Amino acid sequence: MTYSFQTTKVLLVEDNAPMLELLKGILQSFGIGTIITALDGEEGFVKFCQHNPDLVITDWMMTPCDGIALSHKIRNEKKSPNQYVPIILMTGFSEKKRVFNARDAGITEFLVKPFNTRDLYRRLHQIIERPRQFVRCEEFFGPDRRRKTAKNLDGLMRRKEDSKDTDETKDKTTTETGNNDAPLTDIDFL
Amino acid sequence: MDIKHYNQAPKRDATFITPPNLIKGKVGSGGLSEQILRRAQKLLETHTADFAPLADIYLSRMMESIEKAENPDEDDSLEDLITAILLPCVQLKANGAMFHYQLITRIADRFVQFMEVVERLDKETIEIAKAYHSTIKIVVAGKIKGDGGKQGDALVDELNGACMRYFDKHRDTIDFGKNI
Repeated sequence: MTYSFQTTKVLLVEDNAPMLELLKGILQSFGIGTIITALDGEEGFVKFCQHNPDLVITDWMMTPCDGIALSHKIRNEKKSPNQYVPIILMTGFSEKKRVFNARDAGITEFLVKPFNTRDLYRRLHQIIERPRQFVRCEEFFGPDRRRKTAKNLDGLMRRKEDSKDTDETKDKTTTETGNNDAPLTDIDFL
Repeated sequence: MDIKHYNQAPKRDATFITPPNLIKGKVGSGGLSEQILRRAQKLLETHTADFAPLADIYLSRMMESIEKAENPDEDDSLEDLITAILLPCVQLKANGAMFHYQLITRIADRFVQFMEVVERLDKETIEIAKAYHSTIKIVVAGKIKGDGGKQGDALVDELNGACMRYFDKHRDTIDFGKNI
């Protein structure tokens, strides 16, 4: 039994046309049934309101309306059809202060470019299997900015399979684009 | 005695909401198969979209910003001038490897690291920015895809060396612990 994305609707917002096509191809190969595209945050929000997608994947740097502004609109505007929709923000930035800025705009997951398909899949998997709670307070509305990571047990590994699993997990976290230092699995890993 | 908030009214009320996991309801469970992931990765590794036109746009924006930094207006702030140079370079870093130009990503990443910590835009900073710009331009013009091998390493080392010498020279005046 595997995921079936056939009935899933994804809104993809990216101003770089070749990149948009590439991402669309990747999502299609994941089996995503409906992919709606937009070239900036403004068009993205219009299409978001029209189609009410299950997931939004957006680039950060776009003009006139960037991914942060789009995220803010989705989370806070009255006409937003789903304020809780998961949002993956793609960017070349990996500096802490900039990532915090994005996190505070209510994005769910952060994906550092360049990435490989496994990096993208890992974010999807997190959204599906470990959804964030939402927090509403005076100055913030969005996914809980903390995600507790289950610590490994302190005790000894007693079975051979345990160490094998650990090695495999380690292998899978190495990116295939040769960009081992850039991707950040979670915004709260920073 | 355990008195909640010392009997004071809560000052910063936060409500936690658990939204329905709609996407999980649609996709089911089990993840994606290795076969699907490999097929998607192959698509990423073999696509033939041309990066050069896009790279030229980012390089032009980068050079315009460098030139602007050489002759700034009175009301241009240092942070704005640095950001204007930084942004197109972040795009080069982000997109290079997605279009098989891993060397561009590597070079641009080094430059981004440099620009994130510089505190002035003097002649030497501009010289370094121009060196990075020219190097990326050569990589694009020469269609040097992949990591560039040993020559790529040498280029990156050379540019890194210039940055190290810059910071060595300004060691006394740069506050390395400061976030600008």
